[in-house]
Amino acid sequence: MTRTSARGAKAKAGSDQVSPHLYGLRRSTTVVLNLIAVGFAAFVLGPLVWLFFSATKSQAEIYDSFGFWFAGPFRLWHNLSALGQNVSGTGIFVHWLGNTLLYAIGGAVGATILSALAGYGFSRYSFRGANTMFLLVMATLLVPLTAIALPLFLFYSKVGLVNSVWGMILPSMVSPIGIYLMRTFIDASVPKELIEAARLDGASELWIFWRIALPLAFPGLMTVLLISIVAIWNNYFLPLIIFSKASLYPLTVGLSALSQAAETGTKAELVPVLITGGLVTVVPLILLFLVLERYFRGGMLQGSVTG
Amino acid sequence: MSQQLIHPPALGSTGNVRIGAPKPPVRRRTASSRRERTGALFIAPHMLMLGLFMLVPTVYAVYTSLFATKLIGGRQWVGLENYRTVLHAGEFWSGVVRVLVFGAIQVPLTLAIAFGFAALFDAGVIRGSRFFRTVYFMPFAVPGVVASVMWSFLLLPGFGSYAKALSWLGLGNVDFFSSRLILPTIMLIVIWEWTGYNMTILYTSLKSIPKEVTEAAIMEGASLWRIIVHIKLPMVMPSIVMLAFLNAVGALQLFTEPSILASFQPQAISFGFTPTLFVYHTAVGSGEYELGAAAAVILALIIGAISVAGFAVRRRNGEFR
Repeated sequence: MTRTSARGAKAKAGSDQVSPHLYGLRRSTTVVLNLIAVGFAAFVLGPLVWLFFSATKSQAEIYDSFGFWFAGPFRLWHNLSALGQNVSGTGIFVHWLGNTLLYAIGGAVGATILSALAGYGFSRYSFRGANTMFLLVMATLLVPLTAIALPLFLFYSKVGLVNSVWGMILPSMVSPIGIYLMRTFIDASVPKELIEAARLDGASELWIFWRIALPLAFPGLMTVLLISIVAIWNNYFLPLIIFSKASLYPLTVGLSALSQAAETGTKAELVPVLITGGLVTVVPLILLFLVLERYFRGGMLQGSVTG
Repeated sequence: MSQQLIHPPALGSTGNVRIGAPKPPVRRRTASSRRERTGALFIAPHMLMLGLFMLVPTVYAVYTSLFATKLIGGRQWVGLENYRTVLHAGEFWSGVVRVLVFGAIQVPLTLAIAFGFAALFDAGVIRGSRFFRTVYFMPFAVPGVVASVMWSFLLLPGFGSYAKALSWLGLGNVDFFSSRLILPTIMLIVIWEWTGYNMTILYTSLKSIPKEVTEAAIMEGASLWRIIVHIKLPMVMPSIVMLAFLNAVGALQLFTEPSILASFQPQAISFGFTPTLFVYHTAVGSGEYELGAAAAVILALIIGAISVAGFAVRRRNGEFR
């Protein structure tokens, strides 16, 4: 694992790539390849562009007008204000947004703290059973999320955690990938000599972790925090199973309830709420991703170097 | 896909991990037993949570699956009867077969597209590849629920923008939600969601190939196609194998997309359309928790077997020494 840094360096050196002219591609081939890339970008962006324009429309215009441009009166603000009302009878969107923020931030901060502690423990200490423990953690990587959701629900109904905020936040703090990333990151970026030197100076173990290891591992912490936020923000199955009260729903479950109400119900004007709600669900994560892209890529790099 | 692979898988989706090459426990005399204890204390909070929120519930679910709630007599021990019921349920197996077929088509397709673009970006023949890489990765930040809602509206027969576009092109009224096309439609959504993620990982892998390799191949007159398929593809095969298993495990857990499509077209998605839907409908829908638990255990065993097979293959390829 300590080889990660060496290989990472190699990956960087490789980025001054071979000049594409050397491949001797015909001009027509290059044009076609570029067009294919544009085509796939259109495939990816299409639904998101549609989502934006549809969020500015009334229900009738959403079905009847051209999907990729404005049509009719500009209703975005009107649609957004409807997110604060219980239009569907299934709950209020703004509450779901608040819940998702609570679950995502609470769970991700917890996951980051636990992963940093455990990653540091695995990386810089040797103690009896460490390897067995690490293998156990890595084995939980293979446990499918959907397989653990129902057991959690059954367990919660025994201990009274059904319809509890903690029932969502606490299991989200268990992040084997977070531990793996932190361990690899600390292996590569916190020199053993530095820790030894601090010990000789009489620093306590906790002080060394807090003042030396954590600052050096900051990019790793960001990566773990971000991937945890995305994972919790997008989690659908666990909250679907453990929450029966609409006031506790996160965005994903709330939107699914809305889509059911919009398609099967008779209430008008539910579709714009569903679509605008979808937009509000997606925008924060896309912004987060665009601004902090390098930290997301940091996680990818770690993953791929070992993969 | 709760490729949470999916999840995303999810981010369970980033499970591209080599099991920690176990370092021989170097026991230095200077490492006091106090320091050993400190190390254990650092990992203790996580292990406690892992035990409470993974191990205990799993054991409890297996225990629960051995009971049944009867109208007369309440909860009774029934041994393996629930497992027998699930294993004999045609509905459960048709779901298993459906996700296997789904995975057998979707996973190679996703990986082929992802690798193709990763290789082109890596070769530098696409102008503005940074922009494209960012765009392609964006669906990673879109929850499966929202992705399914967007695509449902776009493909809605008679109303959806894409459905209308197809009929303008003279392809007739394609019903993407018909029982014949529902699986390809879900594939389309899942490919939309996960290709960029796979592409990003493969791109990073390709970048770590030294450029001397490519230069030597060019000197010998190899074409771009030859370099990509015969030189670079074998070199990133470990990443592809890892992603194949990750995607496959995600495909087997398929749930979010069909469950959202079901609200647009209920008759297209049956009770046991996928094994996870079967578990959900049995336990939460019908309230047969014990039977649902048994189905969940069987599903976990199937997925576990595939994961273990994946590790075996990767170990044979010389990973995780």
